[in-house]
Amino acid sequence: MLEYSLLAGLVFGLYFCLVGLGLNLVFGVMRIVNLAHGDFLMLGAFGAFWLFNLSGLNPVWSVFIMLAVFTALGLPLYYLLVPRLQRAKDPEMLSIILFFGLSQVIEALATIVFGPSERSIPGRVFGSGPVSLLGQSLPAAWIASAIASGVAVLFIYLYLYRTRLGYLTRAVMVHREEALATGIDVDRVSAIAFGIGIALAAIAGVFAPFMLGSVTPAMGPDINIQSFAVIVVGSLGNPLGTILGGIVYGISLAFMQSYFSSWANLLPYVLLIFILLVRPSGLLGRQVRSA
Amino acid sequence: MMRKLSVALFVTLFAVCSGAAQAAAAPSQIKIGTLYAASGNFAAISMPVHRGLQLWVDQKNAEGGVFVKPYNKKIPIKLIAYDDQSNTATAATLYNQLITQDKVDILVSDSGSPLTSVAVPIARDHKMLLIDQTGTGAAFFTKDNPYIVLMSDPVSSIWPKYIADFLTQDGPKLGIKRIALLYATNDFTGTQANAVRGFIKAAKAPVEIVYDQGVPTTTTSYTVIINNIRAANPDAVITLGFPNNDISYLRNLQDSGVKFKWQFNIYPGLETEGLKKTVGAKGLEYIFTYVPSSVIEYKPEFGMSLPQFRDAWHKKYTDDKVEFGFNSVAGYTTGLVLENALKATASMEQLALRKAIFSLSGKLKTIDGTFELDETGAQIGEITPLGQIVPEGKDELKFVVVYPHDKASGKPVYPAK
Repeated sequence: MLEYSLLAGLVFGLYFCLVGLGLNLVFGVMRIVNLAHGDFLMLGAFGAFWLFNLSGLNPVWSVFIMLAVFTALGLPLYYLLVPRLQRAKDPEMLSIILFFGLSQVIEALATIVFGPSERSIPGRVFGSGPVSLLGQSLPAAWIASAIASGVAVLFIYLYLYRTRLGYLTRAVMVHREEALATGIDVDRVSAIAFGIGIALAAIAGVFAPFMLGSVTPAMGPDINIQSFAVIVVGSLGNPLGTILGGIVYGISLAFMQSYFSSWANLLPYVLLIFILLVRPSGLLGRQVRSA
Repeated sequence: MMRKLSVALFVTLFAVCSGAAQAAAAPSQIKIGTLYAASGNFAAISMPVHRGLQLWVDQKNAEGGVFVKPYNKKIPIKLIAYDDQSNTATAATLYNQLITQDKVDILVSDSGSPLTSVAVPIARDHKMLLIDQTGTGAAFFTKDNPYIVLMSDPVSSIWPKYIADFLTQDGPKLGIKRIALLYATNDFTGTQANAVRGFIKAAKAPVEIVYDQGVPTTTTSYTVIINNIRAANPDAVITLGFPNNDISYLRNLQDSGVKFKWQFNIYPGLETEGLKKTVGAKGLEYIFTYVPSSVIEYKPEFGMSLPQFRDAWHKKYTDDKVEFGFNSVAGYTTGLVLENALKATASMEQLALRKAIFSLSGKLKTIDGTFELDETGAQIGEITPLGQIVPEGKDELKFVVVYPHDKASGKPVYPAK
């Protein structure tokens, strides 16, 4: 029981890296709280569901489609919303209100288009039967989503640390005003990061029917809470800290389900409170961020 | 002559005035107030119930309204419905609004126990009779509260009786001795879990509960829990949850390759169409479940039969966004009970309506079975038999009723294939 909880928690946690990664990237670069993150994940899930039902498209291919579609969607959305926010006195606080409104609009429109019922994609698309890993059986879809998460983390690492755009992005993350003063096109860098951020959410959404059983237009807020727990535990504003946050979250959830199952839904809140009290900068944070 | 003329004039005037008074007393509409959840966690169980009720309202209005005995005439129905978005706080505000602002004649709760729970004290405080559609939590029904009646589901404390009876009476003969119980911690399934424990204990049969755990209703991942249940080595597993729980559980069960010898879930029976789409036919094979009125064809003495209702549903709702299932039948049943109550009530007073509804107990047979109430207003009729879903052809499923024996249509497949 112990070994299984540990392994399943680790794999499930890797999925939650993917869930939180985009949110942390957007926060790290723009210092805005995207409360519609869970809704972009939901849209990715419904996109994959719709493509599967329409043409039988394997969700693996949907990943690439979602990446392209949501990155392209993120660019105009950034220019529509974020520069105005950044000119305000308190962009962080205003972003909470603005993206909460956007979240409500997305949920309402998705309910009108898809209806309120639960939707899903058959698990057989990732092969029939479980996969044996270290002597334990895990669903094939879990392994697939963990691999996707690993690829996404690698992609973000290469983007941030091995490309010129990544250097510029990290410069903006360190100090937006200084980056602006040195001539960096902060809006362009931020827009691309925003697009990648919501595309990562949509990719996590492609795997949501397999990891969460089913999807509904109302799933966004629950995902947001879990995502915040993951990124706060890792380190707020540090995309790669999300890996540790996801793994801690996944393993903690598996242990809670095994030993205190009735209380498992308290986990994100308990983790948030604990980390904010004990180590506000997160497990990988160097210092408390000054907002 | 003048005296006769005066008397005739007086009689004529009296007749005209009393007629006018009677017409004024009859309202132009009977206002039924209700809530529904178009989004959120309970939308999947709320929308079918609401659409079932709406279908009844539209049918009656097309016939000129519903007959209301105190006014001795048909009166059109006005359905005032608000979206509570599956939020209990919003629901509480809207229930108050229906009573105090809209001044509805009849108050109908949203579907399911969580969204009904907030209506129970509000209705009681305002001395409004709560027409509880599918909120089956046993705590809602007490002898000192006359302001609630349960329409379309059996109260949770008796609903799982046939599961427990099967396991304690037929189970030992099949080799079932160890039972696992997993439930979502809410009024609906928490009460059923308590009832299962109580029935099993009272039966004093050679069966024991070897795993007994609650999980939050928001649980979406069961792989670890399934592995823990397997470690307890049960002969039978009872899983009690809402549709989202059942979908996740059955998908995880299928994906993890675990096969329990006897597996019970609630919603493969109650919302078969929806579960078939999300879990897949393969994942529902050999699952034990309730066999509700959306599957068993009762012989109704009032209202449409099951095939007629299914046809009417698919004709009216062509968008395929809300699946047909037991909850659709439940909403329609609410309408049928109200129709009969309005036909029988002495007045539109709330306690008179309650009396009229109680007068139907044990007599009204609808598409949902026999409507029967206990003294607290809890539904004790309409109890659903235990059945098993078995494959029939390619991707097709059929229900086999296995308990009680007098309603059985076949033998259970144990252990499940």
